[in-house]
Amino acid sequence: MEEIEPSVPGNPIDSHNPLPKGKGDFDLWWGLVIGVIALIALLVILVPDPFSRAFNFIKDGIGISLFVTIISFVLVLVVGLIGGLGRIAKNPVIAGIATVYVEVIRGIPLLVQLMFWYFAFPSVIQGIGKAIGSSALENYIADPVVMATIGLTFCYGAYMSEVYRAGIQSIPKGQMEAARSLGMTYFQAMRYVIIPQAVRVILPPVGNEFISLLKDSSLVSVVAVGDITLRGRQFMALSFKPVETFIMVALLYLVLTLFSARMVTWIERITKLER
Amino acid sequence: MSEAIIQIKDVHKYFGHVHALKGVSLEIQKGEVVVIIGPSGSGKSTLLRCINRLEEFDKGSIVVDNIPLDSAKNINAVRTEVGMVFQQFNLFSHLTVLENITLAQKIIRKREKAQAEKVAMDLLDKVGIPDKAKAFPIQLSGGQQQRVAIARALAMNPKIMLFDEPTSALDPEMIQEVLDVMMNLAKEGMTMVVVSHEMGFTRAAANRAILMDGGQIIEEAPPNILFNNPTHERTKLFLSKVL
Ligand SMILES: Nc1ncnc2c1ncn2[C@@H]1O[C@H](COP(=O)(O)OP(=O)(O)O)[C@@H](O)[C@H]1O
Ligand SMILES: [Mg+2]
Repeated sequence: MEEIEPSVPGNPIDSHNPLPKGKGDFDLWWGLVIGVIALIALLVILVPDPFSRAFNFIKDGIGISLFVTIISFVLVLVVGLIGGLGRIAKNPVIAGIATVYVEVIRGIPLLVQLMFWYFAFPSVIQGIGKAIGSSALENYIADPVVMATIGLTFCYGAYMSEVYRAGIQSIPKGQMEAARSLGMTYFQAMRYVIIPQAVRVILPPVGNEFISLLKDSSLVSVVAVGDITLRGRQFMALSFKPVETFIMVALLYLVLTLFSARMVTWIERITKLER
Repeated sequence: MSEAIIQIKDVHKYFGHVHALKGVSLEIQKGEVVVIIGPSGSGKSTLLRCINRLEEFDKGSIVVDNIPLDSAKNINAVRTEVGMVFQQFNLFSHLTVLENITLAQKIIRKREKAQAEKVAMDLLDKVGIPDKAKAFPIQLSGGQQQRVAIARALAMNPKIMLFDEPTSALDPEMIQEVLDVMMNLAKEGMTMVVVSHEMGFTRAAANRAILMDGGQIIEEAPPNILFNNPTHERTKLFLSKVL
């Protein structure tokens, strides 16, 4: 039910704003990001052996980690929207497919899914190639980054479907009915009325999904993707310095996640003020 | 009389095991104002919602302005001819008042922004709140929100307006401002189907009053006759509770 608040002075939306506000939080958060960066710099400068060597060896992985995370995340936003709309579809076949997708994927560990895409899926393709006599398929070789991106997208797409579904279902039924009664189609109503309202609701959980995805992207190191974690493992094998290596790996992830969390809060704040 | 603009024939509606409409037949002429009364759960909303197919019915037929409600294409065609006003207003909460009224004009009626805004401002004038164009729904009183909702529906130039208990969610002091707007619409000759227990409005504006109970039309008559000399026991019983 809508609440009726006659002529509240000022912007009533602000009173619902659950975000940390004020200069204190702002400084603390950036302080953390800068603090961790400073710590990395200090270690690299003051203890160049092994930290400078570690940093230089691992830094190629930063781009790979970010690349895999960001590409997957963009795809996840699309897959999640389709999955979320599927979950609430009236058509039982569409709803059934979406539900099976979500439940099956959420029931299997991400690490197992990544291994499936990298190790099992190519041999399925090769097997099909052999059966139909297609040498292109028979000689198919999986690219680690592509397979890792597919694996992350499929897995996080299922979780994101649920985020979208919950967000769309949180919008009162009357909004869809009003839109339909004006002659809008289901998809017009979704596009112009429901989703713009749902986006505000789902922004915090979507932001959390991004940060989880960033951290879980470390699992792609198991399927030969040269991300931060894999580069770390390689450096450890070269240097025999596991403690310093994984301090560096952990600090690099920490910078990225803290920075992302900061960006998520910032985006939430500007979308709230915009209305 | 000419061909009725709304023709409802033997309509049945089930919600699972609940038989919400049990063979409702009703013809409404162009320019007529029909008020439906009846106890809660008697199927008034369901009947109204069947007229623009927010609810699908299981048996019978409804023809609106010579368009039968069967194919999806016809349903959207009918919906653009029929405006609906809800008890809970249902304004789009992410849009300003002006955007609420222009959105469907732009998407469905393909009007340019300037033209849609002119239509909207004229209608806001008509419902008496031109100064609220830039406000968000949450910043308006219930009465103001409901008047915006009426303006939003009128912006599509509907031939028929459906009102489902438009004043039931309002504080008493705001009821009249909404009824005044509806009264003016009725005077202009709009075809209206109104679910409401506002007896004053019904007496003044309605050509016909209809009592529904248990998913059926029990009695229909001009309002004065229905209120003062009801024939059916169920009508008398209901009126004794409401009046
Ligand atoms: N969406 C629904 N699902 C199940 N039952 C419903 C639904 N809508 C209405 N009903 C039932 O149909 C009957 C008629 O409801 P309604 O048309 O809303 O009555 P009224 O508007 O006269 O109060 C009631 O018994 C109600 O519980
Ligand atoms: Mg009702």
